[in-house]
Amino acid sequence: MIQILIQGLLLSGLYALIAVGFTLIFSVGRVLNLAYASYLMVGGYIYFYVVQTQGMPKIVGMVVAVLMGCLMGMLMYRAMVKPLKGDHVAVEISTLILAVVIQAGIVLLFNDSAKILHPILPGVWHVGGATVTLNILTATVVSWLILGGLYWFVRKTHTGRAMQAVSMDAKGATVCGVDADRINLITWGISGGLGALAGVFFASYTQLSPNMWVTPLIIAVAVVIVGGIGSIVGTLIVAHIIGFMEIISTTLIAAELRGVFTMLLIIGVLIISPKGLFGREELG
Amino acid sequence: MTGISWRHVALWAVFIIFMLLLPEMVSKGTLRTVIFANFLAIFAISWDVISGRTGYISFGHPFLIGIGAYTTAILSYRFGMPVGLSIPLAVCVTMVAGTLFFLPALRVKGSYFALVTLAFMELMYQLVQVIRPDLTGGTRGMSGVTTLARGAVNNYYLSFGLMIVIAVSMWVLMKTRFGTALSAIGMNEESVRGSGLSTTRLKLFAFMVSAMVAGLGGAFYVHYLGSIAPRALFDINFVFTIIVAVLIGGASTIVGPMLGAFFLTFLLEYLRPYLPGAERYFIYGSIALVIYMYQPKGLYEIVMQQWRKYRVVKAGET
Repeated sequence: MIQILIQGLLLSGLYALIAVGFTLIFSVGRVLNLAYASYLMVGGYIYFYVVQTQGMPKIVGMVVAVLMGCLMGMLMYRAMVKPLKGDHVAVEISTLILAVVIQAGIVLLFNDSAKILHPILPGVWHVGGATVTLNILTATVVSWLILGGLYWFVRKTHTGRAMQAVSMDAKGATVCGVDADRINLITWGISGGLGALAGVFFASYTQLSPNMWVTPLIIAVAVVIVGGIGSIVGTLIVAHIIGFMEIISTTLIAAELRGVFTMLLIIGVLIISPKGLFGREELG
Repeated sequence: MTGISWRHVALWAVFIIFMLLLPEMVSKGTLRTVIFANFLAIFAISWDVISGRTGYISFGHPFLIGIGAYTTAILSYRFGMPVGLSIPLAVCVTMVAGTLFFLPALRVKGSYFALVTLAFMELMYQLVQVIRPDLTGGTRGMSGVTTLARGAVNNYYLSFGLMIVIAVSMWVLMKTRFGTALSAIGMNEESVRGSGLSTTRLKLFAFMVSAMVAGLGGAFYVHYLGSIAPRALFDINFVFTIIVAVLIGGASTIVGPMLGAFFLTFLLEYLRPYLPGAERYFIYGSIALVIYMYQPKGLYEIVMQQWRKYRVVKAGET
């Protein structure tokens, strides 16, 4: 029982970290970035290259991964999303194509085989009869810190409030003197950086492989759909729902069923309440 | 019925005659490539009926194709049912599944719809491996499913026959008022409803037609390959191939997806000696992305634009 509780909490923390960058773009720009999960993959691979191939310290690997993710996000916004001028379906299709192109690029650079990342913090921690790897514990703690920081950033800082304004009404924000284009660029940058960081943790939790992006994409999608647009708190809650559902179905029913309930949740919520359970129209 | 002229009929006839003579002209290896192009064309047409027309983008088309393929494979392989019975049954089952697919389209559209279809596909991928693996073959799938024809030439005629019947009937269907109404839904659903048409009924019909085509394609495909495996079928790369075929060719034209499927299959085939692995996706993904960003309506539209320009120039000269 305690095992389920702890594992659920930790997994949910990781999932929240995966989903939050995706939520951010969706709330501010109203576009679904299906190449979001490629940031995770690219982040993971960059970390792998810097730390395990070049032998640099782990923190350097993480910083490089985040910076590259950031750059990737901004580049994508400038080169693809902006020229399509808010045609949502076109953005989705082109980001999906881009995701597959990036996947093929990864295969070109790092070949097809899966790679194991060394744990970021080796060791285990025994608590109340449960065994927890320090690796995923770090991921969860980082995830909580980042979510808290992001909440503060969106609520309190000037840029964050401008992001809120753009997510409520891009035109209205422009009238009030907010440069919506710049805000979008910043959002895409933040989202890319968060994605890459989540990728490092996700890859150390599972493994690195060129098709590792599908699972986190589905998780991010589920969180956004079930949580409703733009609610950071909703993201956190739904990440816990999904995380616990997976752990419970894995330990109590069958390990193969772990993804099934997530899909059913997505389909069910979209059919019954398309706005999501915590539906909000603006970032907050 | 408007918009069908003698020139169209003549073009189709030329195309059909050319394709019928093809086995005389090319090697068996090329013929096998064309078979794959035929099947991809069927899937692309099926996608085009829903997504190209109405703008309800499906990222989960393998869900429909897979249901058709699995139904007939299970019925004929596990229960020894004759293929003549199992294929029609598979098509019916796929159409029922099409209604399931249709449910979210009542409530959500745009981005959300695309995502829910993606969820359908992933759900199917996981369920197939878990539920009754004694029937579905689990992760490894099934092999040794009855094949319908032997040899490249026979299989070619079979796949081409299927493809051309589907293509022509869809093309004619899309020339009717029904096709126009579907395109109108893609442009502005509210105004279609405003002009007194039941968009629900139109969409349901489109989904049924699309599911039927997908089921037919999937069923014949599995009986051509003789084997089926979940990872090859419910794969994002497969969705990607279908969508790229449609987009390169030109969405909502029926002819476009056909062209796109042939173009893509041959591109893949010619790249094979130079780039044996997944690198090919890199090349053709990039090509597709560039074409899509440049002209979202695809090659068909680019060709038509040139043709119109040429006609204007010619009219100016005389």
